[in-house]
Amino acid sequence: MPGDHRRIRGPEESQPPQLYAADEEEAPAARDPTRLRPVYARAGLLSQAKGSAYLEAGGTKVLCAVSGPRQAEGGERGGGPAGAGGEAPAALRGRLLCDFRRAPFAGRRRRAPPGGGEERELALALQEALEPAVRLGRYPRAQLEVSALLLEDGGSALAAALTAAALALADAGVEMYDLVVGCGLSRAPGPAPTWLLDPTRLEEERAAAGLTVALMPVLNQVAGLLGSGEGGPTESWAEAVRLGLEGCQRLYPVLQQCLVRAARRRDAAAPL
Amino acid sequence: MASVALSEAEKVYIVHGVQEMGIGGGHLACFSSPRVWEAQGEKEDLRVDGRGCEDYRCVDVETDVVSNTSGSARVKLGHTDILVGVKAEMGTPKLEKPNEGYLEFFVDCSANATPEFEGRGGDDLGTEIANTLYRIFNNKSSVDLKSLCISPREHCWILYVDVLLLECGGNLFDAISIAVKAALFNTRIPRVRVLEDEEGSKDIELSDDPYDCIRLSVENVPCIVTLCKIGYRHVVDATLQEEACSLASLLVSVTSKGVVTCMRKVGKGSLDPESIFEMMETGKRVGKVLHTSLQNILHKEESLGTKRQKVGFLG
Repeated sequence: MPGDHRRIRGPEESQPPQLYAADEEEAPAARDPTRLRPVYARAGLLSQAKGSAYLEAGGTKVLCAVSGPRQAEGGERGGGPAGAGGEAPAALRGRLLCDFRRAPFAGRRRRAPPGGGEERELALALQEALEPAVRLGRYPRAQLEVSALLLEDGGSALAAALTAAALALADAGVEMYDLVVGCGLSRAPGPAPTWLLDPTRLEEERAAAGLTVALMPVLNQVAGLLGSGEGGPTESWAEAVRLGLEGCQRLYPVLQQCLVRAARRRDAAAPL
Repeated sequence: MASVALSEAEKVYIVHGVQEMGIGGGHLACFSSPRVWEAQGEKEDLRVDGRGCEDYRCVDVETDVVSNTSGSARVKLGHTDILVGVKAEMGTPKLEKPNEGYLEFFVDCSANATPEFEGRGGDDLGTEIANTLYRIFNNKSSVDLKSLCISPREHCWILYVDVLLLECGGNLFDAISIAVKAALFNTRIPRVRVLEDEEGSKDIELSDDPYDCIRLSVENVPCIVTLCKIGYRHVVDATLQEEACSLASLLVSVTSKGVVTCMRKVGKGSLDPESIFEMMETGKRVGKVLHTSLQNILHKEESLGTKRQKVGFLG
């Protein structure tokens, strides 16, 4: 969408008023560092997508859709050595294309759709976390498209997107080794910093460091890890990863129930 | 990422060399074939080029190779060749941080590195590396951004760090972070003064002496250590062949004091939680050693002064 000429943007040297607004929000309330916000998850809600999922955790709302498998674009490459278990050779394995988008009204300030580097980085993080879970060898020469849309950012957006994407893939009937559950953490600045599980937007903004962990709960394998900031020594990061993995395990039963309910709904709706 | 096609036999060879075989010592005496020596070599961590699991390849670092930049560095790590140029330009500070300058990273994967990078092929890798660099510098302590401010809200120094990938031989992230650190160490930003007239209009004056400049402190600039999981062990500084055998790697960005500023899992595979903790510890250990050697070399090169022989691209 080329530049938005219809809105009145004001004179050249204007600046948004939020810069000068007094910081009237108080510091986030003290809370139990291991609390997870209640999650609402629903799979199978979009009629046009092969699989879809909607996840809401606190103020974060993510909608994810999966389409495919369809024929992969890009040149054909010759076969290589075949993988174990009769799967396609490495060069012919399926591809997972992930797309992460923020709605323009998702954050506090409006962000025009081509979000630039941040969205591509998060899309790459999504892809790296979902690839270990999906049996791409069973979809030779095909590509699966996963697109996540963040409707509102209330904290730990990437974790919510990961979970929603895994649910959508499962809803689409894509062969997977396990679900992927994501969990966000943040470390508050200050003298005695602790890692907070599932931060809200306010906690994330004031954080000195942030971490997102993605776990495959049954296999107990870490599928994705992305963290940055002034986290401190390695022991602090190790503690954060442990806290995140524990949070993922606690979230798993909710997602299982969501998929069972979606399967039942599909059965009931199918014509006899 | 540039990749190399390996057969299954070659992969097995590399993986077994890295892992321990755990063959009982008594049984080895029965075999007199060359397999005896091979099996013994596999008991210790032995990689294809004879390194241990935590050893880096020989690194060549040279600063001040490009004369038009404020600072530059060239790093050769095995077959990986990186050139970084830093240019300091004046601009307006960001709205949320009016008292600080900032850094902008741009990574260009040249088509010389591998045929895969021809045309737009290298763009994805370039953006990935640039985003990682933004992430590792995204904290208050890495670079003193307040020293880059000239006058709050109006002028500041913006450091454009441009990374050029000349040759790809595995372990790109490590080499790039070493080169960025060396280039920032070499950066010389001209000293400016802000003069105010009676009417209130500001004028920026450059000092007359061309050697009068501010240097950045790179004490807390982190370096990336990539640990590749091969079999059930992990290796530091993987070559292209070893990267082809590894399904997952952990990228840890460590400062010289052992503070971790960024952690990322790279690759198609998954990692065990226990191996993640081990890899973090190894990364911190290796990172500290890397930092001390890099600081020593940079200070030594600096102390040679104008008498230093510039090798450049001819060496």
